[in-house]
Amino acid sequence: MNTDITETIRERVRQIEVTPSIPAIFHPLLKLLNSPPDEVNLDEVIKVASYDSAIAAQCLRVASSPLFGQSRPPDSMKAAIISLGLRRVETIVLTCCMGQAFAPSNWVLDPTVFWRHSLGCAMVCRKFSEKIKAHDHEKAYMAGLLHDIGFIVNSMSFGEQFSKAVAAACEQQIPLHEAELQHMGFTHCETGRALGEAWNLSGELIQVIAYHHQPENSETGRGLVALVHLCDLLCRVRGLDYGYYESSKVDLVADPAWEILQKTHRELQDVDLARFTFELDEDVRGIYELVSTIFGSPRKN
Amino acid sequence: MMAATRPMLVPATAARGAVALDPVYRHMRDLVYKISGIFQLEEKLYLMVDACGRRMKQTGAVTPHQYWDLLTAHGSREAELRQLLNEITIGETCLFRSQSQLDALRKVILPEIVKDKSKQAIRRLRIWSAGCSTGEEPHTLAMNLMEESNGLLKDWTLEILATDLNDRSLEAAKAGVYGEYALRNTSEYYRQKYFMRAEENKLQVRPEVKNLINFTRLNLQDDSKMLFMKGVDMIFCCNVLIYFDETSKSKVINHFFSNLNFGGYFFLGAAESLMRLNNKFHLVHFPGTIGYWKPSLKSEKL
Repeated sequence: MNTDITETIRERVRQIEVTPSIPAIFHPLLKLLNSPPDEVNLDEVIKVASYDSAIAAQCLRVASSPLFGQSRPPDSMKAAIISLGLRRVETIVLTCCMGQAFAPSNWVLDPTVFWRHSLGCAMVCRKFSEKIKAHDHEKAYMAGLLHDIGFIVNSMSFGEQFSKAVAAACEQQIPLHEAELQHMGFTHCETGRALGEAWNLSGELIQVIAYHHQPENSETGRGLVALVHLCDLLCRVRGLDYGYYESSKVDLVADPAWEILQKTHRELQDVDLARFTFELDEDVRGIYELVSTIFGSPRKN
Repeated sequence: MMAATRPMLVPATAARGAVALDPVYRHMRDLVYKISGIFQLEEKLYLMVDACGRRMKQTGAVTPHQYWDLLTAHGSREAELRQLLNEITIGETCLFRSQSQLDALRKVILPEIVKDKSKQAIRRLRIWSAGCSTGEEPHTLAMNLMEESNGLLKDWTLEILATDLNDRSLEAAKAGVYGEYALRNTSEYYRQKYFMRAEENKLQVRPEVKNLINFTRLNLQDDSKMLFMKGVDMIFCCNVLIYFDETSKSKVINHFFSNLNFGGYFFLGAAESLMRLNNKFHLVHFPGTIGYWKPSLKSEKL
């Protein structure tokens, strides 16, 4: 890509404003998520997660969703960690942070639709990761949650061009990234990468954000990129799409990503894809409900 | 303690966890999937509970566990499973049953087939509704093809083969007279355009729709006749194979694979799947629905 465009993207990403309390939680949290589990201090996680009481309260509500494995709300962050595990609570805090980070205005995409896809993809990535016995299901969740953050940058910083791309995608029933290329000359993969780098996300997550539409081009962590690619495709044909009909035929097993994933995860060949799809349908309603809990009422600052 | 005479008729919320469901129903769900390929969504498990309730009344089973024994015991299991599947799929048939299949047909598959066949001298599209019962499916398909006949399918010869084993069903299919229940998904637009008034407030499919359809009696297990079904672009076979044992099912699916043209598609019911009975078909996803694809000759993955 043209270096001028890359520089423009970086410059605009620097100007994106997030809710003031977010950086105080977000960056320490990312650091915790990237540390080896035995080095994480429980009290530190509780301290970070409780920094913003609105987010802390929301985390406890979210933790009670069956999609996160709890049937009754834990009454404290500590209780949540004891019943759900540290890693899962960290991902819940991250999800709530994302929900509160951006002002409700200036969205080109409907934010509800955006978060349904992102949270849906996060859940499906985690489920798929469990199905193929990958080693870090919560990382798969994070990768799914953040893979499309470039759309936020596009909305905030390239609104006019991005609106045209979205309108073209809806009209022609084509994937958004193809319409972005036609109308903007770059995609959410590049803008997302710039935001991810500005936020100091881990290298693996940056690879997912940058290459989830072409996993074969990723430089490292190709298995995770391939997993997100497949789950993204699946979400888009199963009610967790971008709010318009994509005229697409998806052949997951023939996709190059399937072969990439199969190299490291032999369990993939035993997955009953039809049943996995039907089971995903069961979660869609829960995902819609969670999205309205987390992202439904952005607060005013 | 008095045992309940039939399982609780639980509202939709119960299946979502408001009231605990006897875990034996989840075993039944898994058994039904394993045998038939039909998957009951958690939120629709109450339908299966109702179906079991009706069968328990018929069989005299007092608890769900007794009914489970009937479903699994040597000697009774085959007949009982068939009865249960009947109950599960009862009342499902109607016109325009699966909008996402029809969307896939018109928005994705037809443009693809038309493009693939555009260089052929004969422009002919052949669709087979296998196990068409009382004709709702072939009539729906015919109307949808007719909607494209001035555009995408202009100058194409359209042919729908509709087969069933049951003569009485075929007679009803040929008559094409439907009541409100079968028409519950049919929009005003289609009612006006493709139906005429019939007795008892029913509607009858217009002759020009029926003209596209060739109704024939066929047993899917009749190997010699199955061999003659050639040159088909798409096969729809909803809630039929669920009644077949694994060997017969596998055989029918292999026939379907041969019957289809390269690049053709095979659709089952919305909650049905082939599981692992055939590895030549590719499972493909379209928005809201899955289908099975016979790869085209140029496909690398054949």
